[in-house]
Amino acid sequence: MQALIAGGHIVLEGPPGLAKTLACRALATAVGGSFKRVQFTPDLLPSDIVGTRIFDQRSGEFATVLGPIFANVVLADEINRAPAKVQSALLEAMQERQVTIGPQTFPLPEPFVVTATMNPLDSEGTYALPLAQMDRFLVKVLVDYPRAEEEVRILDRFGGATPALPENVVSVSDVLAWRERAHAVYLEPRLARYAVDLVAATRAPHDYVERGASPRATLAIAALARARALLDGRDFALPDDVRASAPDALRHRLAFNYRLLTDRVDPERIVADIIASVPTP
Amino acid sequence: MAIFPPFVAPASAQQLIRLHVRQFTMTAEPSTLRVGETLRLKIVTRVDENLLELDDVTLPDLSGFESLGDERQCTTAYRGSQCVETMTLTPTIAGDRTIAGATLEAIDAASGRAVRYSSNGVVVHVIGAPMPNYFLQALFEGLLRPFATVAIVAAIAYAALWGWRRRPKTAPAVVPVATAPPPPAPPPPPQLLGLVEALAAAPTRANLLAVRAELRRRIGAREEETLSDLRARGATGGNADLDEALRAVEIAAFADESRVPSLIAAALGPLDRLAGRTAGASL
Repeated sequence: MQALIAGGHIVLEGPPGLAKTLACRALATAVGGSFKRVQFTPDLLPSDIVGTRIFDQRSGEFATVLGPIFANVVLADEINRAPAKVQSALLEAMQERQVTIGPQTFPLPEPFVVTATMNPLDSEGTYALPLAQMDRFLVKVLVDYPRAEEEVRILDRFGGATPALPENVVSVSDVLAWRERAHAVYLEPRLARYAVDLVAATRAPHDYVERGASPRATLAIAALARARALLDGRDFALPDDVRASAPDALRHRLAFNYRLLTDRVDPERIVADIIASVPTP
Repeated sequence: MAIFPPFVAPASAQQLIRLHVRQFTMTAEPSTLRVGETLRLKIVTRVDENLLELDDVTLPDLSGFESLGDERQCTTAYRGSQCVETMTLTPTIAGDRTIAGATLEAIDAASGRAVRYSSNGVVVHVIGAPMPNYFLQALFEGLLRPFATVAIVAAIAYAALWGWRRRPKTAPAVVPVATAPPPPAPPPPPQLLGLVEALAAAPTRANLLAVRAELRRRIGAREEETLSDLRARGATGGNADLDEALRAVEIAAFADESRVPSLIAAALGPLDRLAGRTAGASL
């Protein structure tokens, strides 16, 4: 929800079978938006994402067929299985919020959220996203196995013959209005400086971090903090909003070195330590 | 390596060296020795910068030890430098001696803030008097003692004669020496009541932040802890007024300027209860 209100895109990383696709579909249904799922495979082409022009023999003219990216919520499943040019086509559309097919340019619908999933377990036959492209995602959310009591509730809801379906509770225009209100959430200068300090801390020499986050991370933290404040019913942000938004905005923007693997260090621990080392205002 | 909160004034901080400190440790070898024997106290500082020397290390209190030498050396490597200060000491009294950590004041290159780094302390076990050297003991007993006795008596006699010849003829005049007045005692730490009264009299963000800082100090908040962190570890100890005051102050501290006065007014309720201030009391 934070990312939706902040107007950014999401990377979901987790093992299979954790309802990542269902969550995206539920989000789209809840906000009354359209949902499209694209399964990324090695033989995918950019036109399979954005659309193409097809020659219509009856009319004798080219017709544009829009691709599945023209939806409010687009699930790019296993984005790391597609080659680089397909990833680039998607990421360019995410950045520009429009797609050019032939001589025409088509704007993408608003709100437009891409949720990309990556399976951290199967690395064979995958094309790792470069850091520069990962930087375009607002947040990276880690999806882990549910706790025992949560899994019991899952069994209760989905183990029967007719699983519960998500309901439409708000409209797309509501989401757009929330975005406007989130932009107006007050971020006190000390909190802005706190966000800058958090990102600057990732750029300090570190045994396991090769390169820190870019200023895009600062913008992401500020946007997420505003969205979090709005969700909490406030029109101003607090230090907790900034601090709570930092891990999701930073974990996919740090370049770790090989020592991380050889020393078997949890990157989440590094991100948490870096964040904890920065004094709060 | 312990890091204390910044303490130096901005002017002093500009004179500090800027460093990425990776290691600041102290070792003592051996850790168990006798009075009169020597130990090497080694302070190792590893930084990311290339240093030829490091003079900013403050040595700990070494009472109970006599210094026989102090050597400093910095070596540069692929990533930074390692500076080692080796002190050769000899204990003068027996017992378990705790040498507190050395300190290093520098600007943390990551945060740009003045920081006091503190190394670990070491415990040195000093066991009684040194073992007797029987050869030297026999030499002293047989040859040196009679000679030493004669020399000591002659020295005492000479000192007495010298003192008698240089005795003062008249008593010297006593010149009063103007002594500087003792420095004023440091002011007591600001009390919450005073800060709340100041806030009530002048509801400004600056006064509010002073109250917030005092509340955080009272509950031992670390500088990296947010309000959620404090609540999660029960820092308020279940004090409902304190919890409410912290929340109200936090909200007021980060709201936009136009709302600060009204939010301060709302925060004064729990603050007054917490500080034991009667509503409407004058300064």
